[in-house]
Amino acid sequence: MSEERQVRTLHLAGALGMTIFSLGPILYMALTAASRRPDFLSHAAGFEFTVAHFDSVLRTASLHFPEYLRNSIVVSGASAALCVSIASPAAYAVTRLSLPGRVFFLLSVLAVSMFPPVSMVGYLFQVMGKLGWINTYQALVLPYTAWILPLSLWILTSYFAQVPADLDRAALIDGCSRLTILRKVIFPVAAPGIFSTALLAFIIAFNELLFAMMLSTDHAARTVPVGIALFEGLHGEIPWGVVMAASILTTIPVILLTLVFQRRIIQGLTRGAVKG
Amino acid sequence: MGALSGNLSPRGPAVAEELTRGEFARGYAFLLPLAVFVAVFIIVPVIGTFAGSLMQDVTFLPKRFAGAENYRAMLSDPGFWQALRFTCLFTLVSVPLELFLGLLFALLLARPSPARGLLRACVLIPWAIPAAVSGRLFQLIYNYHYGLANYLMGTFGLTDLPVSWLGTPAGAFVSLVAADAWKTTPFVAIILLAGLAGISQDLYLQAEIDRAGFVCRFTRVTLPLLSPVLVVALLFRTIDALRVFDLVFVLTGGGPGGSTTSLSLYGYNYFLGGDFGYGSAVSVVLFLIAFGLSVLYVRVGKFGRELA
Repeated sequence: MSEERQVRTLHLAGALGMTIFSLGPILYMALTAASRRPDFLSHAAGFEFTVAHFDSVLRTASLHFPEYLRNSIVVSGASAALCVSIASPAAYAVTRLSLPGRVFFLLSVLAVSMFPPVSMVGYLFQVMGKLGWINTYQALVLPYTAWILPLSLWILTSYFAQVPADLDRAALIDGCSRLTILRKVIFPVAAPGIFSTALLAFIIAFNELLFAMMLSTDHAARTVPVGIALFEGLHGEIPWGVVMAASILTTIPVILLTLVFQRRIIQGLTRGAVKG
Repeated sequence: MGALSGNLSPRGPAVAEELTRGEFARGYAFLLPLAVFVAVFIIVPVIGTFAGSLMQDVTFLPKRFAGAENYRAMLSDPGFWQALRFTCLFTLVSVPLELFLGLLFALLLARPSPARGLLRACVLIPWAIPAAVSGRLFQLIYNYHYGLANYLMGTFGLTDLPVSWLGTPAGAFVSLVAADAWKTTPFVAIILLAGLAGISQDLYLQAEIDRAGFVCRFTRVTLPLLSPVLVVALLFRTIDALRVFDLVFVLTGGGPGGSTTSLSLYGYNYFLGGDFGYGSAVSVVLFLIAFGLSVLYVRVGKFGRELA
């Protein structure tokens, strides 16, 4: 019994430590964004609340933050939508039609997802340069889609495999085509899986940096992570308040998504990685 | 192991009996868009990079076939060896640390508690935010004059003088590992959590009846049964750590003195400078390392074996 109590105390302390470890830095980011001075910890003046940094992130035209955010949302949204619509027929074929070579197909796709992005980005830059695509949405959406498709296929395959095949048989007897079955039978039943996949695809595309740095040059297509990575102050010193305000504004949507859809994200992640 | 294979194998063949020749064609047509996307935007660029690594291809200079010249130059390039060494060292230090912390987190998250959902969401947040954002955040945390790290060190009396986190090679290395651990521990924890959920509760009950203590239950039940999932997490993280780019680019920029430049960043810098031949050669080396490990991953993970 006393050991049980010890374990419980340890667990409580551990949970507390884990929360501080995870959220402490985020809190520091928020405080710096809302503080008049970035050195509020050590400076005698201490913490003085202000919204000036948020104001300048949203209103300083030369920072282009709202444009970056719009680009990020358009690019990630389009990539997520494409991923789901391309990966779901493939996942349907893999789970429902025992095509020769489907295991090889799944494994090759898995191996492809582990390629380092830097081994594609130089070539893509040169080809897209010739096509005049640098700094356009498609220059990001198309590689992102290809890049996230393997994970999408694996997640959707595990969800579709759980939909009873009797549903398909019944629909086939009723004369439905495979495509109709996918749309009218599988999609509604596997909707949570589709949603998890789209959510993960969105987050991965939203966070991507390397492709975005190579393939976009200014606010016409540049995404938020690039904007934050390349943020330079006018006179060398980084304007921490403004940078952290931009970071918070970027992070809030992601935090909200995580808090609301925690279960979906975890399901998607574990299905893609472990198939636990 | 798991939902995918378990549900797939009994049903696959039964449906297959009903497949007509036309349906085979349609089946492949269903795979086609995905295959085309992956081929055009991943496979072709990788082949292009391999081909490019054999060329002298510098902006404003005539492009010509160079054979193994780029690779030969690489052998005597201290910058390349430094990047290779940093990438390996970073992987060797950060991955075990993240696995250890991830296991700890998973064990804490697995225990039933009323706030479990909220706790899981909180832990997930560092994983979900862009690496560029966490890179900037840790740059501020490590600020010499007023960052959180030095503030805490001073408050707890750990050092008399502020630590120059990003100004020395050792400090920059530690900073990167810590920032990476903050960001990727949640991912490891979530994967291991799924593994923990797969362990039968009966085994723990039996262990309790046998009066096995907490430590004994962990080493005799949890660890052996979790090991397949641990291996998957290990290889997943290893491949990810080898190709690290975002965090290094934002937090240290590869410095000081190139001491924290990863292979991805080293290749990128050459692309940025317009030397596509040499950049491609560096990328090919990284590709081969990651590819070798991913083959190992697929083998060890026994993926799809039950599917065959």
